[in-house]
Amino acid sequence: MSAAADVRGAAQITAAISGGDLRSAARLITRIEAADEAAAPVLAQLYARGGSTPIVGLTGPPGAGKSTLVDQMLAQYRAAGERVAVLAVDPSSPFSGGAILGDRVRMGRHNTDPGVFIRSMAARGRLGGLALAAADALTVLDAMGWDRILIETVGVGQNEIEILRHADTVIIVQTPAGGDAVQAVKAGILEVGDLFVVNKADTAGADRTVAALREAVEFRTHALGAEAWQPPVLKTEAAGGVGIRELLQAIDAHHQHFRDHPKQFAARRRSQARARLVECMAAALRARRGDDEQHDIFDDTIDDVVARRCDPQTAAKRLVDSMS
Amino acid sequence: MAQEKIRCLLAMLGTDVHSKGIRTLAQLLRDRGVEVVYLGEHNTADGVINALIAEDADVLGLSYSTATYLHYTHDLLDKMRKAGVADVPVMLGGLIHADDEPALREMGVKGIFGPGSGMDQIAAFLQDVTGKSLTGDASSST
Repeated sequence: MSAAADVRGAAQITAAISGGDLRSAARLITRIEAADEAAAPVLAQLYARGGSTPIVGLTGPPGAGKSTLVDQMLAQYRAAGERVAVLAVDPSSPFSGGAILGDRVRMGRHNTDPGVFIRSMAARGRLGGLALAAADALTVLDAMGWDRILIETVGVGQNEIEILRHADTVIIVQTPAGGDAVQAVKAGILEVGDLFVVNKADTAGADRTVAALREAVEFRTHALGAEAWQPPVLKTEAAGGVGIRELLQAIDAHHQHFRDHPKQFAARRRSQARARLVECMAAALRARRGDDEQHDIFDDTIDDVVARRCDPQTAAKRLVDSMS
Repeated sequence: MAQEKIRCLLAMLGTDVHSKGIRTLAQLLRDRGVEVVYLGEHNTADGVINALIAEDADVLGLSYSTATYLHYTHDLLDKMRKAGVADVPVMLGGLIHADDEPALREMGVKGIFGPGSGMDQIAAFLQDVTGKSLTGDASSST
């Protein structure tokens, strides 16, 4: 296909997605997941017109109640007439590469609602490429004109945490069973959370978990000054719908904080863009092929480093130079 | 290099609650490298179709353990045609009686895996209707 035909095709898909064609959008996300370069010209057009839909990210350990929280948030947003898209990321099996994407089970009541769009995404064991694929999927959802976007991911590893860099508001979901706040500090999630939720608050130890989290959060934000956002620690019982209204109010308060402090919002947007650029560059490096299209330069470089023919720093310079 | 995966939507319709079979299938498919979008029980045809569109699934699998599957399948396939997603192949599993297979095929069901069906059969079917291969190999991305 010629470059001009590419651009025309991309414009058609872009128009279809902006016009609310769900199947075009869903198919583009499939191309993104497959790391298909054909998605790039469409994404370029969609990116240019995006950026206005607030994105809320949720993460936490398996079984913390993230999907149930999302289900309850959807119910309240829908009752208020807001149309919402959800990107639900689940791990892939490291053995087979397959996955069971089961987040929709908790959100089943919204399947028949045209005001809700839920897309599941498997982590696929990408070397850091997960955050890139998720970010591109968010670009698609953003262009579809939803009022809000929620992204849910299991907080099990750096890849999953990286996804949250694309959210404007990050919610860390914990349970009383999750150990004391030292565990949260160890996991390095205190730094990325804008809101903390202790779900299953009707189980024993909830107040202790809340108190411990508050102490840890306040210790961190104390150093940031009075102008900084103070992350609240909330209690919810997602299965019973308890505390959801307060959670949505806290999300709104965080958005309001960004409106009141445009410099902080600009800094967040810059850090999002920086993270995405770095991911794009890493993906471009990984996709580098030799001149004969047979050799994977990245693979060859790994071989050189393993065999100690080349040290990692020099190898990295060589890779970057090979891109120019 | 594009990484193509088979995405399979698994669901149960109506009041059928015997989900052991479909949950087992979900795990076996995952172990073959399939990405299973699992909807569980108590779905409506409209809900399944909306999920099918949003998830861009390659294939739809339904499990039945009650005798109402002719009615439910007919209704679903009808609504799939109206929604413009009749191109997505549908497979059935569970307690499907051999006598009903011709009627189900006539409706447009592509795969029927009743009692005694094996994973190799199902895997071969999935690769055939999707045109994608199941490697079950997680080491492809270095």
